[in-house]
Amino acid sequence: MQTLKKSGSTRKFDLQRIVVLGVAIVLAAFFSIASKEFRQYTTIVTLLDSFYYFAFMAIGVTFCLISGGNDLSVGTGMVCYAMIAGMMVKDFGCPVWMGIIIALVLGVAIGALNGVMVAIMNLPAFIATLCTMLITRGLSSVVCSGASISWPARASEEGWFRNIFKYMMPNALGKKTPIPTGLIVVIIAVIIMAFILNKTRVGRYIIAIGSNKEAARLSGVNVVKYEMLAYIISGLFAGIAGIAFAASNASSITASSGLGLELDAIGGAIIGGTSMTGGSGSIVGSMIGILILALLKNGLPKIGLTGDWQHVITGVILIAAIWFDVIKNRKKA
Amino acid sequence: MGETILTMKGIDKSFPGVHALDHVDLEVRRGEVHALMGENGAGKSTLMKVLTGIYTKDSGTITYEGKEIEFHNPKEAQEAGIVIVHQELNMMNHLTVAQNIFIGREFMKGAMIDDARMNVESKKLFNQLGINIDPSEKMGNLTVGKQQMCEIAKAISHQAKVIIFDEPSAALTEAEIEELFKIIRDLRDRQLGIVYISHRMDEIKVITDRVTVMRDGGYVGTLITRDCTKDDIINMMVGRVIYEDPKTKSMVAPDAPVVLKVEHLCAGKMVQDVSFELHKGEILGFSGLMGAGRTETARALFGADPKERGDIYINGKKVDIRSPKDAVALGIGYLSEDRKRYGIVVDKSVAENSTMANLKNFIKGIFIDKKEEDSVTKTYIQRLNTKTPGTDQLVVNLSGGNQQKVVLAKWLVKDCDILIFDEPTRGIDVGAKSEIYHLMNELVAQGKSIIMISSEMTEILRMSDRIVVMCEGRKTAEIDIADATQENIMHAATMR
Amino acid sequence: MEKFKNLPIVKKLGFNRIVLVVIMVLLYFLFSVKSGRPLDMGNVLNTVDFMGFLALGVTFVIATGGIDFSIGPVMFCAGLVGGQLLVVNGWPLWLCLIVTIMVGLAFGIANGIMVAYMKLPSFISSMASMRIAKGIGLLVTNSAGVSWPSSGAENDWYRNLVNYNGIPVGLIILLVTAVICAIVLNKTRVGRYILCIGSNREALRLSGVDTRKWEALAYVICGLLAGVAAIMYAGAITKYAAGQGDVFNNNAIAACVMGGTSMAGGTASIAGSLIGIFIISMLRVGITAMKFSPDWQYIITGVIVALCVFADIRSRARKK
Repeated sequence: MQTLKKSGSTRKFDLQRIVVLGVAIVLAAFFSIASKEFRQYTTIVTLLDSFYYFAFMAIGVTFCLISGGNDLSVGTGMVCYAMIAGMMVKDFGCPVWMGIIIALVLGVAIGALNGVMVAIMNLPAFIATLCTMLITRGLSSVVCSGASISWPARASEEGWFRNIFKYMMPNALGKKTPIPTGLIVVIIAVIIMAFILNKTRVGRYIIAIGSNKEAARLSGVNVVKYEMLAYIISGLFAGIAGIAFAASNASSITASSGLGLELDAIGGAIIGGTSMTGGSGSIVGSMIGILILALLKNGLPKIGLTGDWQHVITGVILIAAIWFDVIKNRKKA
Repeated sequence: MGETILTMKGIDKSFPGVHALDHVDLEVRRGEVHALMGENGAGKSTLMKVLTGIYTKDSGTITYEGKEIEFHNPKEAQEAGIVIVHQELNMMNHLTVAQNIFIGREFMKGAMIDDARMNVESKKLFNQLGINIDPSEKMGNLTVGKQQMCEIAKAISHQAKVIIFDEPSAALTEAEIEELFKIIRDLRDRQLGIVYISHRMDEIKVITDRVTVMRDGGYVGTLITRDCTKDDIINMMVGRVIYEDPKTKSMVAPDAPVVLKVEHLCAGKMVQDVSFELHKGEILGFSGLMGAGRTETARALFGADPKERGDIYINGKKVDIRSPKDAVALGIGYLSEDRKRYGIVVDKSVAENSTMANLKNFIKGIFIDKKEEDSVTKTYIQRLNTKTPGTDQLVVNLSGGNQQKVVLAKWLVKDCDILIFDEPTRGIDVGAKSEIYHLMNELVAQGKSIIMISSEMTEILRMSDRIVVMCEGRKTAEIDIADATQENIMHAATMR
Repeated sequence: MEKFKNLPIVKKLGFNRIVLVVIMVLLYFLFSVKSGRPLDMGNVLNTVDFMGFLALGVTFVIATGGIDFSIGPVMFCAGLVGGQLLVVNGWPLWLCLIVTIMVGLAFGIANGIMVAYMKLPSFISSMASMRIAKGIGLLVTNSAGVSWPSSGAENDWYRNLVNYNGIPVGLIILLVTAVICAIVLNKTRVGRYILCIGSNREALRLSGVDTRKWEALAYVICGLLAGVAAIMYAGAITKYAAGQGDVFNNNAIAACVMGGTSMAGGTASIAGSLIGIFIISMLRVGITAMKFSPDWQYIITGVIVALCVFADIRSRARKK
């Protein structure tokens, strides 16, 4: 029993996750040492602001990747849900809580559409979700008549939702200190989703489908239902990401701002050790992957490189990560 | 041995063009290990598929625990207590052992899966079986042998009363086989009925109580293992009349030069130290049972799969074959057993398929000379008597025999000197079959050399000048056609 | 209907393509009637020119069973690099045009190596190179984008490549390229092998063909044509914003799928892709002419792609 436990715990910390965590720590340390500006509290808060919505998208996408699929619609989807819900709040006088629900419902609806196309109509996941990526991109500007949308400002009556992600605490100097409360929300979401992934039927069957769909089907698993669920979860989290995006964006949201974001979410998940071929992946790993990308995005400008380097570096890291995955699978085969 | 638990009587099953099962009987008792034997294609797997509801029978009855039943899918059979442990394991490598065993029927604690209990229950199962596997290990990290133990544990956890082992030992090491036998004996003592499908004669003698032999989809007989010899079983397996007259002596001139020499070829578990020579104008038959490593040998020789070791000489010169490209350049052609996957491009035309290996010769300037392509294809359509409406017909619309002729045309267009025919007549009707035989004879008469891999004894005895027999990745015999009999080939094929 | 489908002339031209042409004509009249004046074909051609090259290139990639999401941003990257060298660094125009094409080619080679030799899944590796292309475009121009010289300015003759005194030179070049592409795809070894890779890679490999080389070549062709597209874009629109171009991959891929190139690989139609691009360009221009939001094109494209791929899957399943 002693040995049993030991081998169980060593497995939990597999090599890739240790390496990735190491990279994240080294990056954080490097930027902190190299730049005084980076060390500052406000920088950390800004970094976290842009971390939240990627984190939520990545949680959802991780489920799709584990099921052996993908979801390219999270980026434009997130913006679409934020804009349409925001419009309901701004122009139609919905209370913010209802706006939040609208965003989530929209996310679930598009997720279900993806699920139908992938699980029932058998379209390749990347092409089905490419289509919903286009559709959500179009919807966001068509519904909002091409205008940009801003959610109620912090100071306004309906601005309370912004405190979910950043609470402004009055301090002794009579000013306000931002508290990154969003981190708590992310951590709670990670715990819940990690629980669902590892401890419930939903997660178990999604892993089984990604690992060996035919075997799962023969074992009596309703593969259509659970594969669909993966996409619905992804849609739901794109909705949550939309709220986080709205809350952390002081300025207005434009329809085109979601383009390309899906790649950061998927890339973060893959860097964090989620396999492209399905069956394995972890929520925590995806979070670390996203963190690395956020560190790069916020750290590079502070050491004198423009933020544009982040695109190139993300691309290169992503290629390295999938290559690693391909080689790992080839060795096993 | 206890009372009868399962009786299959007069099971008949036909597929279009094939009478797969012809009134087959099988009776399994509680507490016995019952061997099911027969050559490749004898109908063993089909019979088991009928039993577990993958196929529906045309006629006959299945009686299980005193009641006549018919299952509609494997899950129904499983629920009733009849489970197959497949050779191809159906495992989810990313889940743990316990998670695999209980997939689809997890223990729950509210909304939460009770993994701890699943581990405990799995451990209990393993203890019952006397095996030591950590239930929380990922399935993908286990050896094939251990994975198989898990399948058995899964079967037992389904309250199985009849377990069917489909060639369980094929991928196992000696030590693992020992362990497997221990488990099987234990299951027998617990009054389960066990069907054991295997080609290994020695195992049959060791582990089974009775043997049922099938041949060509028919039932031959049932023997009590301890009262019969290996030869008795072999005679039952091969005891068919070879009506298409077998070759009696080699047609190869005694001084025919060696065109291909393979020395100590090794590639994975299925190709271990294989050496042989192929003479000019010879048909070298490769015989053996399923999984003997013949196709793997051919693929390694052809460069389709990586090889670990081994030297290959063509016309006495040592050559380095690393990819099919090298092999084709050296004049070797390979007609795969799996035509649709490896032989033809189904949604391309007859002409396109025919010139695929030698397109270079059909280039005029930068263009493909479609006229030339067409006329050459036509020549081969005539020569091989391929039935196709035209050269632009898509290969998908041709019958199996004609598809095979297109593949053959591909290698003839390339003018290969050495041809490897892997199951050349599988899934081909009788007429096309004899045409292909005719062609092969014509080719060797022209001085080409052929390696023919075949699981059909008749085919081997009819076509070959010499026969190499393989068993589990090793060459176990080389027999001149003059000395070859069904019995001595089967002996060599079941050597281990 | 069956009878019509089996007419020799219809078979030769392809039923699907005839339907597409009919749709194209109907769209023209629909937009013209609804917006009250003839559809501005000059405007349509401006987009057809560069998107056409992208679609032609990606047709080769899809024919192998792969996908390339990087072509739009690669086109932008090439245009930005070339434009920056021309406008800011003062390089001669002819050299800048060559560099522009070379940038596209370089990305094509990189994609080809990643997919064919390193065996990375094409859709995700091409998304990575899309990111790199965007990044380089941003870095080279300091995130500012670049405008190629407008008509009347010095070094403006490249604009004649798109339109010379009302002669649609761009369209002519595109059509000539399309004919060359169709010849390459249907009449040469390159095309034969690329299509066979899409149908049954393993059978081709076992016939002694180095499949990696030919698969990589498809990506190289695609990259090269993206470089050419960059010149056409410059000639038609001149202004390159940095960090964009995604829209155009989707349009190009949609055009291929619409034109009868199967996402599963093995069948491809150059003419189909070209007609597809015409339809998409007409939609772009027509929707605006009808005073709808131009962003409707995203939704329409998305729906079209989903339907076409679904139809393709269905017809394949039926054949089996």
